[in-house]
Amino acid sequence: MNRSGIEAIHGQPRPLPIGDGAAIIILALFILFVTSIPKYDLAGAIAFAAFPLLLTTASGIALMPILKRLVITSPFILFMAAGNLALDRVPAVTIAGLAITGGMISASVIVLKTVVTLVALLSLMAVMPFHRFGMALRNLRVPTVFVTQLLLVYRYSFLLAEEAAMMQKARDLRSFGGRGKGPLVTAKLIGSLLIRTTARAERIYMAMSARGFRVGLDSRPPITIKPGDFVAIVSAALLFALVRHLF
Amino acid sequence: MHMSDALLSPVVGGAFWAVSAGMIGWSARKIPAEADGSKTVLMGVMGAFVFAAQMINFTIPGTGSSGHIGGGLLLAVLLGPWRAFITLASVLVIQALFFADGGLLALGCNIFNIAFIPAFIAWPFVYRPIAGDGRSPARLASASIAAAALGLLAGAFSVVMQTTLSGISDLPFRVFMLFMLPIHAVIGIVEGALTWGVLSFIASTEPGLLRTASNTRAPKSGVVTASLFVAALAIGGLLSWFASSKPDGLEWSINKVTGKEALASPSEVSHEFLAGMQETLAILPDYDFRRTDNLIAKQAAETSPVHPGTSLSGIAGSLMVLLLAGAAGIVLRKRSPLPEKL
Repeated sequence: MNRSGIEAIHGQPRPLPIGDGAAIIILALFILFVTSIPKYDLAGAIAFAAFPLLLTTASGIALMPILKRLVITSPFILFMAAGNLALDRVPAVTIAGLAITGGMISASVIVLKTVVTLVALLSLMAVMPFHRFGMALRNLRVPTVFVTQLLLVYRYSFLLAEEAAMMQKARDLRSFGGRGKGPLVTAKLIGSLLIRTTARAERIYMAMSARGFRVGLDSRPPITIKPGDFVAIVSAALLFALVRHLF
Repeated sequence: MHMSDALLSPVVGGAFWAVSAGMIGWSARKIPAEADGSKTVLMGVMGAFVFAAQMINFTIPGTGSSGHIGGGLLLAVLLGPWRAFITLASVLVIQALFFADGGLLALGCNIFNIAFIPAFIAWPFVYRPIAGDGRSPARLASASIAAAALGLLAGAFSVVMQTTLSGISDLPFRVFMLFMLPIHAVIGIVEGALTWGVLSFIASTEPGLLRTASNTRAPKSGVVTASLFVAALAIGGLLSWFASSKPDGLEWSINKVTGKEALASPSEVSHEFLAGMQETLAILPDYDFRRTDNLIAKQAAETSPVHPGTSLSGIAGSLMVLLLAGAAGIVLRKRSPLPEKL
């Protein structure tokens, strides 16, 4: 995990006009509506791009780190889009003598849907710190053990990533002509990292216990969605349905 | 092997979300509420370990390329299926939220393909019977390689099924299978060899670490079968509901109210309005998206599922919405400037 990468995406946390739980539900609804756009409906996909664009421009989220992230993760999507491009060559529209095939349209819709859904997701995470995200999940009745797990993974990924990077650098500095970079040496490195990890986990647990940490596996807080949040969720659903209907 | 939102239909994505969420809830209940909370911390740190271990690359002999460990089977062996499933699922959630791996709707599919399969299929039904007590190096090696390879093949097969059922991609099932399975078989063998290497190292230096999972009871085959059955039922039921040739409840209601089976299609309503606007305002009013003199193109267009008549006005309208949203966002930001960074 790259700390600078996450920090670049994780802009400046901001208070949201609605509750964090409601924001997560609205995001889920948005993604459901986007994925329900038919295969050849380019207009629908463009129209739904308006929502993440509004969110990013209004909140001043830096788009470049998010778009860079998308480029890195997109090869599989680009392959699937290329498949449509190659296999569906039936001309659907002709503009000034240039035939636009069904594959071109469906491939554009796949790429656009990917950009729209992922920018929306990353934008929300850019304004919501992870501990607030965890608390919102608790309010939505996600099991405590899973939320605790998420928070711990997030917290300790930075530390272990630094340790892994140091181990890899140490190995690379001792390597000549690529020797020692094979699976056997790497397995031992990963094994060493694992042993250090478990030792660290024991120390962390002792420190957390000393500060009064207790794992409450069975507690179930009530779902806390305020009336204003409920109105926001219904309004968002109606707005998405309207856009889906119009385009 | 991460699925993406854009390749999934809401039905398939939703069905796998339901199955994965159910399995997370169930696994959370199966993990005993031990007074010793150290195992909860261990799970958290082991999730972070997977991220860190994936940073350590190795050279794949004879290919010139490099790879990294996936860690699914390794976690199942070290933590047991329930804890490994929760840990892997949490890693996938963080990958989706911060690294754009997949997406929110695809998370259900990704948890099923990358966490459920190694924890509840590869470990109990392949690794454990072959590895036995883990003392024989040959058995440990064959168990690791077989479980990792079969787990990855099952995950790749699941990706193909989910994509095909969603109907977004035009890749034929057979071609997609031929593309996905051989490469994942190779990746699985490499993953298995690396897992074996790590387990051998742990067995020789800290054998106590391997006891956690060996003391865990394996999930019963009925549980796994039931989960797969629920997934199949959810998808099959929902798909058949959507694909029914008889009118559904909404169509029936519309028929009763309007006397027609369906309202004018959304595109017709908006696009007639936008086409009217376009005719009034357009710089090139006679421009027609549909006009073509090519006979073959005309015939093809008649059978195409694309409705070009709706395209120009629809795309023009949606681009207008996009521009308005961007402008509104800039105005909003200027009205409420961000607080100064501390």
